[in-house]
Order: sequence, then structure tokens, then C-alpha cells
Amino acid sequence: MDSLNTRLAALRGGTSPVGFSARTIAGLNENPGCARRALLDASGADKDRIGARVGFPGRFGQSPFALARGRVFEEQIKANGAAQLLRLLREKLGLTIEEAAYLPLEDVGDNTGRELRARHTTAQLLRAAREGDDAGTLFDHPMLRLRVAGCTAYLEPDLVAFQVGGRFHVVEIKSFAVIDGQVDGEQVTAAARQAAVYVLALRELLADHGLDPETVSHEVLLVTPADFTNRPVVSLIDVRKQLAAVRRVLARMSRVETLLDALPEGVSFDLAPDDDGDPTRDPAELAAALHQIPARYRPGCRAHCELAAFCRDEARCADSLDVFGPAVGGMLGGVDTVCAALGLAEGTRAPAEDEAEIARALRHAETLRSGLG
Amino acid sequence: MQDDLEALEDRIARLRRSVRAAMRRRDSARVKELRAELRRVERAWDELADALERDERQQPSAPEPARPPGPLVPAREHVHQVLTLLGVPAAPKLIGAVHRAFFPGELPASRLASLRRDEERSFRSSPGARPYYLCPALTSDLLAPARGLVTVSSWPLEHRIIGPLSPRVDFLRAAVAVADAAQRGLHETPDTERLLRSFAVSIPGATPRGTGPIDPGLLTRAAEAEIAVHLDADRQARAAAADRARRRLDETERLFGTKLRAIPGKTAQG
Ligand code: SF4
Repeated sequence: MDSLNTRLAALRGGTSPVGFSARTIAGLNENPGCARRALLDASGADKDRIGARVGFPGRFGQSPFALARGRVFEEQIKANGAAQLLRLLREKLGLTIEEAAYLPLEDVGDNTGRELRARHTTAQLLRAAREGDDAGTLFDHPMLRLRVAGCTAYLEPDLVAFQVGGRFHVVEIKSFAVIDGQVDGEQVTAAARQAAVYVLALRELLADHGLDPETVSHEVLLVTPADFTNRPVVSLIDVRKQLAAVRRVLARMSRVETLLDALPEGVSFDLAPDDDGDPTRDPAELAAALHQIPARYRPGCRAHCELAAFCRDEARCADSLDVFGPAVGGMLGGVDTVCAALGLAEGTRAPAEDEAEIARALRHAETLRSGLG
Repeated sequence: MQDDLEALEDRIARLRRSVRAAMRRRDSARVKELRAELRRVERAWDELADALERDERQQPSAPEPARPPGPLVPAREHVHQVLTLLGVPAAPKLIGAVHRAFFPGELPASRLASLRRDEERSFRSSPGARPYYLCPALTSDLLAPARGLVTVSSWPLEHRIIGPLSPRVDFLRAAVAVADAAQRGLHETPDTERLLRSFAVSIPGATPRGTGPIDPGLLTRAAEAEIAVHLDADRQARAAAADRARRRLDETERLFGTKLRAIPGKTAQG
């Protein structure tokens, strides 16, 4: 395992590692076949800055304004021993009056080290699991651990995990509005994916200590503002589907060793930062290193991967049909470049045996098109 | 929000430095990209600053005698007044809200943040020179400063310690104190009703049927009913921690908390 970590660190070079977050783990699922992303993420490379360095700065992440809004809403929910959250849980989930204990876990004394916090969190959660209802109800900002590709990812539900009806629930506090009982599907899905990562980490924590992992509910509580007010509402989301997906992707990540073996000697994503933290690595060299690892660009990448602009450009230059997305790729099954597809359509390229049918369809389409024009 | 503003300012300063560094290197692509980022962050700063300003303007001022300008009463005394009214450890947000609801004068949120550091410094340089100090609450497990909760040094140790149930119990006690102040008709402002309501909605049975104003008597009864449920457990946890503090901590630590050394048995490895 150590040698794996050393190899991954070498890949990253002198840049400090970007830890996995629930968001990035959930994001791995978006394009599981992409070796480039798997390796960059496993090594803790900063994809955002790498993308910028090779000339493709991304517009990625939430705006600072949205982040600030999220923090204000979360603070409001958690103020005064999480009074607003308690009310929701009592009214909507029948939490008993006795259960009102609130444990802030965002530091241990003045110390905010992740490992120390993780141990502290573990001790508190185990006590709650073993001793039952009295040992704590609301755990604010617990620090969880999850093994990802042989490394420890530290996960901080920016929210609360708690015990209601004898089960742990992950609580996600999000500041996107629920309007007329409707939430933006994509945002909820994203929240569910993240929450599933927390559920998994919590379950592993219990299992590691000989407790029943099923004590952690697969239902996650999503707290959001109602309509355009700051009044919070809670919804229950079943994350079983997302859990299964996260498990699959983690299993795949453990094969990162195979990906490393396939790499040519000396490939590195080192940004070689100077004293100001500004990268000094030659962009062309860095880009060349990226090209060494096979990627699988698809339009969806733009929504979840910092390297999307770079990979899109690469796919275009390589003439790959991937830029059009999986639907087009699937339709033209087997034909994988734009050149080949056009050649078949125009009849300038003789179809191979398995391309005959596709070639006929393309030629037909071309006749229609020229008929129109 | 203030913190976010500061974080953005840091970010702006760092970006500017990077822009200059890139200019020195004549890396024009990087300059362009950094400046675009800089503009984006500056815009975010503007938006946040606007939002803060709007918030501040919305806080209505007291109707009768114009509020005396802030500096006349030092911030620490404002805070002391509020904490004395509440009688429980409180976060700056709550302190601000109670102040607006019952006291004249301004209590800028930014002053609260620096206060705690000043108090500890002042105590360390000449212990006991002031009649009271504003100090953090202490956590019951580690006897370390509890994040963001302010107390008064003259309170009994048990009141300054926060156990697992204490946030709830103190919230309920604060509700009783605020209801009481409202019933006494202590310098009511338009913010008073809002404050009462913010307590009442989070306490079972504290809001009157229909849409009428909050009844302070009902609020008190509801809060006391819930206090009774938690009281024993909370008292025990606080008393046990206070005992430990008396045995193990020196005077300064009993006021300002221990700095974490190690959790016995839990930090042996890495
Ligand atoms: S953008 Fe590139 S690296 Fe990222 S997932 Fe897509 S193909 Fe992979």
C-alpha cells in the first residue's frame, strides 16, 4: 500500500495533495471509464490548476457568493443548539423531546487536525451507537474517514449526522430553494450522491468496530429553505441507488495500481510551484504528460470535471466522436472518428465488414441532407 | 458573512500578487486568466458587501430617543448587559439580536469578534484588574473553549460549562429570560416581537393558536416544561465537569479553557 502511495505522490510531484471530498468521490461515478481522471484524483493532483496551467482554465465550483449563502443558511439551522433543526425533526420525524443533545465536532479543543477530529468523532459516534439514546443526538460537523484507492479520504458532512428512532441519519443542509414542494432534480441528485458517500463512511465506521452497519439509515434528510424564504423544510431521500454506485466506483478505484503500471516512466503532473505558489511547470510538458493517460471525454464531463475544456479540445483534435456524447457514439457503433464517419457517408471510404450497415445508414442520411440543401 | 468577506479579501490580495508575478514573467496567458478570476472574485465581494449593507439597513433603530453613538458605552459593557439579562452562555448572533431588541445604542458585530482575544490578553497581563471578564464557555469533555459562546467570568463554573444537553437547556433558559424582559416592558423595540417569535417557533407549545403576537407567559411556560425534561441530566454533566476543572485547571484555564494537549489514550499514534 505504501509503495502505491509513494507512486501516486510521485505522480503529483511537489504540489500539496487535494484530498478527496464527498463531491469528488461522487463525481468519480460520472465517468468511471476515464483513466485520466482516476489517476489524477487518486494522486491528489489539483485538476483545476492543472487545467489552468495547460491553457484551459475552468469555470468550476460554486461561486463564492453561493458558498456564502450556503454557509449563512447552515449557520441559521444550527444556531442555538440547532434549535431549528430540532423542531423539524420533532415535527416531521417524531423525535422525542428527551433527545436534544448537541455535540459540535468541528474541533477538538482548539485543534482542528483532521485525524484527531476523526478519532474524536469515532469515539462519540460509537458511544452513541453502543449506549443508545442518551449519548448524543446531533453531531455537528463530524469528521469521517473512507478508504479510497488505498488512501484515506477525510469526509466532513458539512451537516449533521444524528440518531433518531435508534438509527443514524445523515443530514444535508443545502441552500437551494424548494419551490412549491419541488426541488431542482439535478441539485437533489447531486446532494443524494454526496450523502451516499457519507452513509457509506458511517457504515464502515460501525462495521469496523463490530457494530451493525445497517444502523445507518439509507434515508438521508435534506434540509432546504422553503420557497424564497429562509424557513427550513426537511425532505427524506432514499439513497440506496447512489450507495450502490459509490460502492462500485470505489471497487474500481482500487484497481488504480493497474493504471499506474500502464504508465510510461517519468510521467508527472507536478506544477512545480514557486514561493508564491504559482506553477512554473512548462505547460507544453504538462499537457504532454496528460495526453499520455487515456481519457474518455464526453459532454457530461463539463458538469463534473475540471479538465473538461482540455479533454474536449484533445478529443476534437483527435477527431474523436466522443465530443458528441454517448448517443452519437452508440449510434455509429464501431466508427470512432469524425473523418471515418464522413468518409463513409460520402462514399469516399470503403466500409469494413462490420461497418457495412452503418455505412448504408450514413449514405442514406447524406442523400437526404444534400437533397435538402 | 463578515468572515466570508474577509476570506474574499484575502483571495483578492493573493490573486493580485499572482497577477504581478505573472506580469514579471511576461506570461500573458496566465495574466489574462488570473485577471478574469480576480474580476470574478471582486464581483462576489461586491455582492456580498451589498447584501451585508442591506441587512444592516433593515435593522430598524429605536423609535424614541435617538441611539447614543456607540463609543459612549464600550462594546464589552453592552455584551455584559446582554449576558446578564440572558444569564446563559450565548453566541454573538444571539447577543446582537437581544441587544437590538432591548437596548439602545449600536453593537457592531465586528467588535464582538476581537473582544474575546482582548479580554484574555488583559487578564493575563494583570489578572483580576477588572470586575469581570468576558470569556468563552468551556466544553464539558475537554474543558477547552467552546466555539463562539461567550460567558461572564463572575458566573459559577457550572454555568460556564457546556455539556451535550446544555445548548438546548441554555436556549430554553434564554427564552424564559427574554420573555421575562418583554413582560417587564424593558425598552421594547420593534425587534422584540421578532426575537420572541424566533424562540417560540422552536419550542413545542410556545406559539399561540392563530396569528396573534407571541404571548410571553405562554413562551415561559412552554420553555420551562421542556427545561424540566433535560434538567437533571444537564446538571449532572455540568457539575461533573466543573469538579474536574476545579481539580485540574489553574485560574486562567478555568476562565479561558485549556489548550488541547492530548486526549489520553486516543492520540497515541499519528
Ligand atoms: S474531463 Fe477528461 S479527465 Fe475529466 S472525466 Fe472527462 S475525459 Fe476524464
